[in-house]
Amino acid sequence: MIETSWIVGLGVILFFIGLLGAFTRKNAIVVLMCIEVMLNAANLNFVAGATHYSDVDGWVFTAIAIAIAAAEVAIGLAILLSLYSTQETISLDEANILRN
Amino acid sequence: MVDSNNEWNLLAPIIPFVLVAPILYMQGWESVEAAFLIVVVPLLTFPIILVVGQVYNGNETWKNRYKEGGIFGLGSLALSLSIALWIAYDYIAGSAHFEMNSVVEPFSWLTFDVLHHDGSQWDISSGFADIGVGVWIDPVSLMLLFVATFLCFLICWFSLGYMNTDPINEDSNHRFYGVFVLFAIGMFGMVLADNFLWLFIFWEIMGLCSYLLIGFYYWKDSAAAAAKKAFLTTRVGDVFLMIGLLMLYNIYGSLEFSIIFDDPSTGVGGALVESADLNWALLMLFIGAVGKSAQFPLHVWLPDAMEGPTPVSALIHAATMVNAGLYLVFRMVPFVDVHVSGVAGLEDFALIVAWIGGITAFMAAAIAFVQNDIKKVLAYSTMSQLAYIFTGLGAGLLFLNIGEYHAGYFVIGASMFHLFNHAMAKGMLFMASGSVIHEIHHAHHHLHHDDHDFDPQDMRNMGGLASKMPVTSTAMMFGSMSIIGIPLIGGFWSKEGIIAETWLACLHEEPLMLGPAILVLATAGMTGFYMTRMWLMTFAGSPKTDVAEHVHEGTPWIKEPLIILTLITAIGGFLLALLGVVDYLGGEKDHLAMHGLLDTLKHAFLPDDNELRIVGWTTILLAAILGPIIASRVHGGRLAEGAEANPLVGWLVNLSSRFGSQDVSELADSQLAEALQRRLYFDDLYEWIVANTAIPFASFSAWFDKNIIDGFIKQIESNSTSGSVTVRSITTGSTRDYILMAAVGMLSIFALIWGVSA
Repeated sequence: MIETSWIVGLGVILFFIGLLGAFTRKNAIVVLMCIEVMLNAANLNFVAGATHYSDVDGWVFTAIAIAIAAAEVAIGLAILLSLYSTQETISLDEANILRN
Repeated sequence: MVDSNNEWNLLAPIIPFVLVAPILYMQGWESVEAAFLIVVVPLLTFPIILVVGQVYNGNETWKNRYKEGGIFGLGSLALSLSIALWIAYDYIAGSAHFEMNSVVEPFSWLTFDVLHHDGSQWDISSGFADIGVGVWIDPVSLMLLFVATFLCFLICWFSLGYMNTDPINEDSNHRFYGVFVLFAIGMFGMVLADNFLWLFIFWEIMGLCSYLLIGFYYWKDSAAAAAKKAFLTTRVGDVFLMIGLLMLYNIYGSLEFSIIFDDPSTGVGGALVESADLNWALLMLFIGAVGKSAQFPLHVWLPDAMEGPTPVSALIHAATMVNAGLYLVFRMVPFVDVHVSGVAGLEDFALIVAWIGGITAFMAAAIAFVQNDIKKVLAYSTMSQLAYIFTGLGAGLLFLNIGEYHAGYFVIGASMFHLFNHAMAKGMLFMASGSVIHEIHHAHHHLHHDDHDFDPQDMRNMGGLASKMPVTSTAMMFGSMSIIGIPLIGGFWSKEGIIAETWLACLHEEPLMLGPAILVLATAGMTGFYMTRMWLMTFAGSPKTDVAEHVHEGTPWIKEPLIILTLITAIGGFLLALLGVVDYLGGEKDHLAMHGLLDTLKHAFLPDDNELRIVGWTTILLAAILGPIIASRVHGGRLAEGAEANPLVGWLVNLSSRFGSQDVSELADSQLAEALQRRLYFDDLYEWIVANTAIPFASFSAWFDKNIIDGFIKQIESNSTSGSVTVRSITTGSTRDYILMAAVGMLSIFALIWGVSA
């Protein structure tokens, strides 16, 4: 049996990888993928907690979070499509017309 | 020019209006119940005139058939007149249903809760102030109602001739008639009002109409300025009037006549009224009256108000609106009448009223000496005669306040009688002067088409008109005689009473009345001079310009009112003296018929009091003989060779040439004449005062507003602008920055929670 603290540590590492990716990468799709990584880090924590306490709630939350993430990806991709169709780019550096 | 007889069929539309009163009578109405129609019908008519006039402006039928609304105005005024006559008939006939103070109050208008202090704490009493819509009729309001409705009707009739035949008024007469009828509403409403609040509201309506009508020729700078001056000067008085009403309300807890006059000595909650409080309240009301009646020191607006069309001068600035102030002072009688339930100790107030009257009478008469504009002479004469009435009222209030019941009511009755005589005579004099001006203007228009410098109102351009204008010259002769006080004609009956009683008050009661007494006595002689001068300059001698030679009376609608008012002026005073009108306020009806006449005659010519006999005969000597003879020496002269006037006028004109002649050019160039020409520098004084107080204050206020108040607001604005410019630089528009901010923010919140819980 792997220690719960190891699994939580993995979740933290995954979360910061995702966070770092989200604000260093230019490509919007990569940023979206990084957000997914952060979500999954959170899911991992839920699962670890559920196993640790033998409580079913964590699994239920994980299932809901995965469903929401799927919906969020659909919306995110739609936003990216519309960004591409209007700005002809998905580089976040160039999509900055809300500046000031 | 259309013959006047052919125009009378235009009067057909007024027949239904005239029939209203008889129909109501047959339906069993009481006259007092119908009194509200006096105000309501004109109130419905005036918007119709204005709106229809605007829509059909320039339409031939509207212009020729309906006289641009004049016929409708005349109709509604005829209805008001017929109901007023009905009420007057009921009063004189002593109808069983007619009480001394008839109050009809169909419904409450405003009920408000009032915050009051009951010694220890503030409390709200609900329904405390109840302002009703009602009608109050007593002898004085009835008399004024008759004067107002009668003169409104006649002057509206006169306007059909005067206004509608002058091309300068074309297509704007509906404006004239609309405002004219609105003015009539104000006057009738003020007279009928049964509480001081309504009185004030209608008072202000009159002020508005006065402003609108003085500025009728608004494209002339002088007319626009005169309108503003009249409005602002009377506004000074009106502010004080309003303060006075609030003080009265504070004392009595109501503005209803019925509540206040029921017992003026007990105020709200049964408290005794202090004479000092009431003194101030009445003084404030009196300042309002001074403004409205153009008395010193708020007299400056009236001469300038002559910029308005002549019917307006006749109606508003001579016969009706300026009487509003007198009416207000008359309303103060119950406050001072200690015989009933007045408050003692108001002699000072009465003295102020009398002094203001005396000063104005003398000053206005003096200024009238040097006026060459026929309407200006009449304007100053109006001021002077109204001042007589104020003096009489002052003496009357004094008598009443010291308990001299009979003398007090006698002189107040005489004052109100003078109001009647003056309104009739002065309304007629203005219409007659309008007739002269109109015909001179007309003749001038024919002779010199292009000359625009000619002043048709300047008496130096007239002369010798007695043979050209028989009706007008006779009317003006009787009007002037009434104003002068020639024995047995019009104003004589009343003026004699005022002067005599003022002297009586001075000799027997209050030495301080000496000033007003001497001033009104001197003014009687001065009136004799300036009225005769005006008449002679206009009608006697030979024509002074070629224009005056070609004048002839021909305009329709103008003669009838003059003839009616000439009759009233000539014998009206006699008839009313016969009815004992001077005594009617005391309620002693046994003075009817011959007894009243003899009483008045005796009072005028052979009073019991020796001193009064001297005063009475001095007055007659000054007013009827000395003044006119001096005027004849200066301005008299025979008519031109071959010119015929009617016998009485012709005789007077020729009489005027028999007293020799006197050269007054030296006097006319003197400093005194110059001062009188400049109206004793009152206009300059007020201008100086305004220039040194109001205008610097206004500029300071403008500076304060612009720099301090606006500056403060603008500082807030510019600070927030620069602040937001600074703040918005952190919105970079880059998604990664936002994510970073969100992450940092989130982590800070976690750190905070961790720190707190740890």
